[in-house]
Amino acid sequence: MSVDDIIPGSPLARALDDYPVPGFSAGFADRVLTAAENRAAPLPELRRKSVGGGGGRGWRMGRRIMIGAACFGALATAAAATGVLERFDIAVPSPEKVWASLTGKETPVAAAPIISKPAEPASAAFAPVVIEGPIDTPEELSEAFRRIDEVREGRNAVRRQVIDQRIDRAIERRRAAGLPVPTAEEEAALRQRIDEAQALRQQRADERIKARREELSRKVENGEALTSNDIAGSRQLDPTTAARRERLRELRQMTPQERREAFQALPPEQRRALAEEFRVRRGAAGAPAPDPAPEPTPDEPPAQPQS
Amino acid sequence: MNFSGEPSTTAMSGMANGADASLAARLAARDPVALREAIASHATALHRVAYRMTGDAHEAEDIVQEAMLRLWDHAPNIAARHPVGSQAAGALRLGGWLQRVVTNLAIDRLRRARRLSDGEVPDSEDDAPLADALIEAGERDRSARALIAALPERQRAAIVLTYYEELSNAAAAETLDMNIKAFESLLLRARTALRHAYAARAEGGAL
Repeated sequence: MSVDDIIPGSPLARALDDYPVPGFSAGFADRVLTAAENRAAPLPELRRKSVGGGGGRGWRMGRRIMIGAACFGALATAAAATGVLERFDIAVPSPEKVWASLTGKETPVAAAPIISKPAEPASAAFAPVVIEGPIDTPEELSEAFRRIDEVREGRNAVRRQVIDQRIDRAIERRRAAGLPVPTAEEEAALRQRIDEAQALRQQRADERIKARREELSRKVENGEALTSNDIAGSRQLDPTTAARRERLRELRQMTPQERREAFQALPPEQRRALAEEFRVRRGAAGAPAPDPAPEPTPDEPPAQPQS
Repeated sequence: MNFSGEPSTTAMSGMANGADASLAARLAARDPVALREAIASHATALHRVAYRMTGDAHEAEDIVQEAMLRLWDHAPNIAARHPVGSQAAGALRLGGWLQRVVTNLAIDRLRRARRLSDGEVPDSEDDAPLADALIEAGERDRSARALIAALPERQRAAIVLTYYEELSNAAAAETLDMNIKAFESLLLRARTALRHAYAARAEGGAL
């Protein structure tokens, strides 16, 4: 008993003790029993109670988190599928990359891209024919012409393939952008016009080559020894241009880093000339129908007989 | 310490020991005899608490009836959590559960009455027959009731549970759903207010 307790026998205790409780009214228990029998069944619980007390809250939060994550995933998938992310320059990894990052294994070599450069069949055969030494017999000249024709045919095939792919890509881009695309008839007409232009160009080249080759054949029959300059024709490059072209050829064979270093190491005037040439080439590359490869006319590469 | 030697709730709690679990199981089976037994065992003690909290015999009977009906409603859940023969069955104490329900119901009704009567608990004589009988009990009875009624609801509950029902502070705190420190603070305030009220009435010549 503390000092704050109400001390028994004190005036306050006596006053509190005089507080009798009346008894129940008659029939109280019967009234309760009647009320219990007539009482409607209690409503079912609205929410299942958890055994652990806070478990239900945790499960509800977890369920909400799961629903949120699923919604976010669905939105992200939809955005990636519709290309929205690419507009904001957000890289979307391919499933193979994601799987490789999860498993730590190297991804297999990716399949060929949808848009790829035309495969160059037997590209070694289409390399410029390098002819070293004089050509002084008709057989050597015929062999040189034959090899040049092979390369020329191959490059023509590649050119046709490139043209077809460019047409397909242009149509696909217009279709993706929602622009009108040519009908099948219009596309066929377009391809036919291109083929006709190509055939005409080819025919003119053939005529020029034929005349040139007849002249070269006559020279050989007369006992002259042909050099690469003879086959290259009268279009002789000045030493500066030739050196620049040679330099360009070397630059093409370098890696981008090596190319940058080599370019910076050039004298200023040569660097300016190269930059100008690059600009001209870029402008030519942006032309509507650029040639993917130079025409291997007999006057282009120095000839090299296999003798 | 009780004024009339009525059985305290503390003594009543000793009746548990699994008997309450079997009673709850019978109530869950909708056995009217079980409900009558529960009324016989607990209603008197509950009525004491309700009457001293409210000061109204009719209100007290209503509160006890509501508490017994809630026991009837909740019996299936209680029986499910305390199956007969289990360890939980031994810990079941229906008297404590009912006392908690009655205390909360009484506090709720007092608060509702205070709202309806603009903050004042009626201190006038009841017109009901039982109230008339109490009025006839004497001037000191009215004084004790007025002293208790002057306390706020929770302080009133603290005095009723600890002084009249002789509950320990821990048991009373559990009934009021408070921690022991908070309850002891509440009880101290209640006793202080009671002494001040008694002194004021004594100076005013009411006692």
